[in-house]
Amino acid sequence: MSLSYRVAYVFLRNLYSYKRFVVPTFLVSLIEPLFYLITFGIGMGAYMGAFGGKPYLHFLVPGVLATAVMMSASFECLYGTYIKIVHEKVYDSLIATPVSADEAVAGDILWGSFRGLVSGSLMMAVALAMGVAPASAWRFALLLVFMVFVGVLFGSLAMIVTSIAPSFDFFSYYTELVITPMMFFSGVFFPLDNFPGWMKTLAGFMPLTHVVRISRSVYTGEAAPGLGWSLAGLLVLAAVVFTISTRMMRKRLIK
Amino acid sequence: MSDPSPALVTASGLTKKYGDLVAVDGISFEIREGECFGFLGPNGAGKTTTVRMIHCVSPVTAGSLLVGGLPAAIDNRDLKKMTGVIPQEINLDNDLTVHENLIVFARFFDIGRREAKARIAELLRFVELEAKSGSKISELSTGMKRRLLIARALINRPRLIVADEPTTGLDPQARHLIWQRLRQLKSQGATLVLTTQYMEEAQQLCDRIVVMYQGKILKEGTPSRLVEDEIGREVVEVRVPPEDDARILGQLASFPCAHERVGDTLYFYCREGHALMRKLLELDLPNTLNRPATLEDVFLKLTGRSLHE
Repeated sequence: MSLSYRVAYVFLRNLYSYKRFVVPTFLVSLIEPLFYLITFGIGMGAYMGAFGGKPYLHFLVPGVLATAVMMSASFECLYGTYIKIVHEKVYDSLIATPVSADEAVAGDILWGSFRGLVSGSLMMAVALAMGVAPASAWRFALLLVFMVFVGVLFGSLAMIVTSIAPSFDFFSYYTELVITPMMFFSGVFFPLDNFPGWMKTLAGFMPLTHVVRISRSVYTGEAAPGLGWSLAGLLVLAAVVFTISTRMMRKRLIK
Repeated sequence: MSDPSPALVTASGLTKKYGDLVAVDGISFEIREGECFGFLGPNGAGKTTTVRMIHCVSPVTAGSLLVGGLPAAIDNRDLKKMTGVIPQEINLDNDLTVHENLIVFARFFDIGRREAKARIAELLRFVELEAKSGSKISELSTGMKRRLLIARALINRPRLIVADEPTTGLDPQARHLIWQRLRQLKSQGATLVLTTQYMEEAQQLCDRIVVMYQGKILKEGTPSRLVEDEIGREVVEVRVPPEDDARILGQLASFPCAHERVGDTLYFYCREGHALMRKLLELDLPNTLNRPATLEDVFLKLTGRSLHE
């Protein structure tokens, strides 16, 4: 793998292009979590009573937060990167410079992660305004760091899909068959306790399940069993997925 | 040329395969420091593949390719730093302005902000785009975009400039401006590698050319030498049906001209076409044209006059 500080240059290029879209993307990033929190948190939550001694909204926020990061990072590394490869040919001009293909890909994954962080932070701002705050200031900081990591994980995963995508339509398979099920079966909206055993096992294989567990525990300050294993698993997965994504992208880019 | 400059690019047995397809088939050539070297050929001849290997974005399958004494390899940042690429496809960054395109590119080459700004001002003047500095790419004409590609390729002050069909789709004014700029760069000491399908472009710019076809080099030489050797000085074209060939050729046995029949036309390649032309007019063949031989004749003779699709 050929990585250096030049990853930052690729990130910088994205920042330049982002300038023009900041306002619309901020709006979109704000509206979606607002909908989730209002419909599920306030609307449905009113019928659900206390969730472990607290309003449902407190259970929901950390999960939706993690989902927002996953979504933003994934979409950026699916559609955003695909456009840069196939339509705008940004990658072609990049790899003719001293920037390597690996750096271009890593820069875009980092960019996806940044977009995830922006979405997550906006989400958190909404949650704060609704009175759902992280348990302490350092937990707040820890959440920001965790969001960057979650962005890298799902950005890399999306990058693998992009590396073999023949067209835009291909991404529907990934979003409908992987992303959406994860959103519903990873304990974002309700605890997994009532699932039958096999479904619990299945959920255990979904990275978002572990992301949500960590996010919730850090946010609320409530301990959860096996959290260290969840984190270790995610770290290993991220390293593996990142390595595979740069390899596969190199195959697509260099012929 | 009495004392040829040292070679900047040396290829020997250079081969590129995509699966079973052989795109470049064991070619050898030398590009000297400070010259303009052209790759001519129809679509699919292997020109672009060859120059992509030279500027290190496509790996060599077999054979050797040295640029500035170093092996051309994908991760060879030193080579990429000394090379400027004017791509065939316009791949400017549409999300960025003209100036931002160049700023970002300068960064890729580790050029500091202050230095980059000075170079950008100079380059925009060079390609006559000073007034467009803040424009979006979508506001530029094709000619302007091509000129911006040249400015972008020069941001790192390259020793080697690779131009892959740099005037495709341009009107004559825009094309001539680009030719002037490329000649100017050469006179400043840069080495130019050009691919083109336009014979006039090759004749205008190149010191030496190779004609490529189906991954191989068919001929190498200076443009005028190739025309002289392959065709002669003049071409006489006679538009007559093929049935008349025997009759006409019988009358022309005394003329030292090679001939070729393609479609509705009989071509004669001569040192001097005037006498032949007279004879043809005597034979009452008015549909006849006498013109100087060009690189296009060489190209068509070597690669065939039929379509390459």
